[in-house]
Amino acid sequence: MRLFRKDPHSLSGAYALDALEPGSERDRFTRHLSRCESCDGEVRGFREVATEMAFAASDPSTEPPAALRDRVLAAAARTRQLPPEAAGASRARPRRTRSRVPWVPWLSGVVAAASVVVAVLFGLAQARTHDQLNQVRAENKAISLLLSSPQVTLLSRSTTKGGVATVVLSAARHQLAVVTNGLPALPPGEVYQLWLIGKTKTTSAGLLPPAQAGETPPVLATGVVKGDTLGLTVEPATGSAQPTTKPILALPLPV
Amino acid sequence: MSPNDSDASRFKSATTDRRGDRELDVLLIHVARGDPEAFEAVYDRLAGPVYGLIRRILRDPAQSEEVTQEVLLEVGRTATRFDPAAGGAATWVLTIAHCRAVDRVRSVTAAADREHKTADIRTPHDEVAEAVEASLDRERVRRCLDRLTDLQRESITLAYYGGYSYRQVAELLTVTLGAIKTRIRDGLIRMRDCLGVS
Repeated sequence: MRLFRKDPHSLSGAYALDALEPGSERDRFTRHLSRCESCDGEVRGFREVATEMAFAASDPSTEPPAALRDRVLAAAARTRQLPPEAAGASRARPRRTRSRVPWVPWLSGVVAAASVVVAVLFGLAQARTHDQLNQVRAENKAISLLLSSPQVTLLSRSTTKGGVATVVLSAARHQLAVVTNGLPALPPGEVYQLWLIGKTKTTSAGLLPPAQAGETPPVLATGVVKGDTLGLTVEPATGSAQPTTKPILALPLPV
Repeated sequence: MSPNDSDASRFKSATTDRRGDRELDVLLIHVARGDPEAFEAVYDRLAGPVYGLIRRILRDPAQSEEVTQEVLLEVGRTATRFDPAAGGAATWVLTIAHCRAVDRVRSVTAAADREHKTADIRTPHDEVAEAVEASLDRERVRRCLDRLTDLQRESITLAYYGGYSYRQVAELLTVTLGAIKTRIRDGLIRMRDCLGVS
């Protein structure tokens, strides 16, 4: 905002319509977007407008040719999918977590959210929880969106090794956040890993971060679908692609 | 109840159908888990709009088909990165489609070629009007486009349906860059309010 004509905010419309040419201007706006929550919201709204315009542009006379379907389905079957995490992200970061907010505010949000969930868990005063919720809202988008969803379910269960896992689940968002309290400390080289166990597939829902005073900061998992069970296992330090030990927790999710 | 009222309520339910389409979100989540049937279902729901949009931008059927294939494969390949909290599945897919179509326009459109394309532009608004007769979607979008100023409407349709950069739009409409980016943004804000996008 040093110079008025360089105010990147006004480029949100052109950006949402892919009307910025590749290069420094687009790069600058993309950087701006990662720091500007209101611009991000604006771009999303504009993209929904664009989607309406896209649907309005298609009509029966421009149906895709039938042969395309077979070609695409055959090619898709031969195409390997990207792993869930963006390239270059830290290995220690939970695989299914896709936080869109910068790392440091996210961390502080995580700590705040941990206290919220723990406060709920131990039945602390409603007002205090509410204040903290507001604090989380301000600091963290992803988890606060989850916590502020109209219909979240709070689930809590002991693991077979002791300690309690608490889950805040939003069926509508297909997301959950997990915190734990009092899980036994693991020897170096081992880590707790969360799983979404579906009917046909089990996918990693992230590694539990190290506990602070017995509590682990929340892990956000996305892509929760009907029939999933949340599992927790002990795995080698870098995590596993599939569970290698017997789950110490299996919590069916009411999605 | 005036006819306008009943129109408004119909439009509202159409809006909810599109954006409240959690079923499509769930399908995409299943695609992310490698479920081929879910991919097939996503194809059947979205290949039409994807192809329609690309065809509108590129015009050429063979190229449109090629880009549609690219887009749908990309959807399958990157479904693991889809985040329903950040927007609906239809928007996610059509954003990719628009972006790829525009990439194609830019890769084939050298500066010289652009002159030719410029000559090819009919009044964008008439074009939109032409394509908007049958469906409710089109009707809604057309009404909202109609409420924009001429400059807002032309800027948005040239950028979105024409695949032009805002610099090119400024050249075509012989207005300043600053004016174009403001018109696009103001126009989209009006469209958003008119369409009832949150």
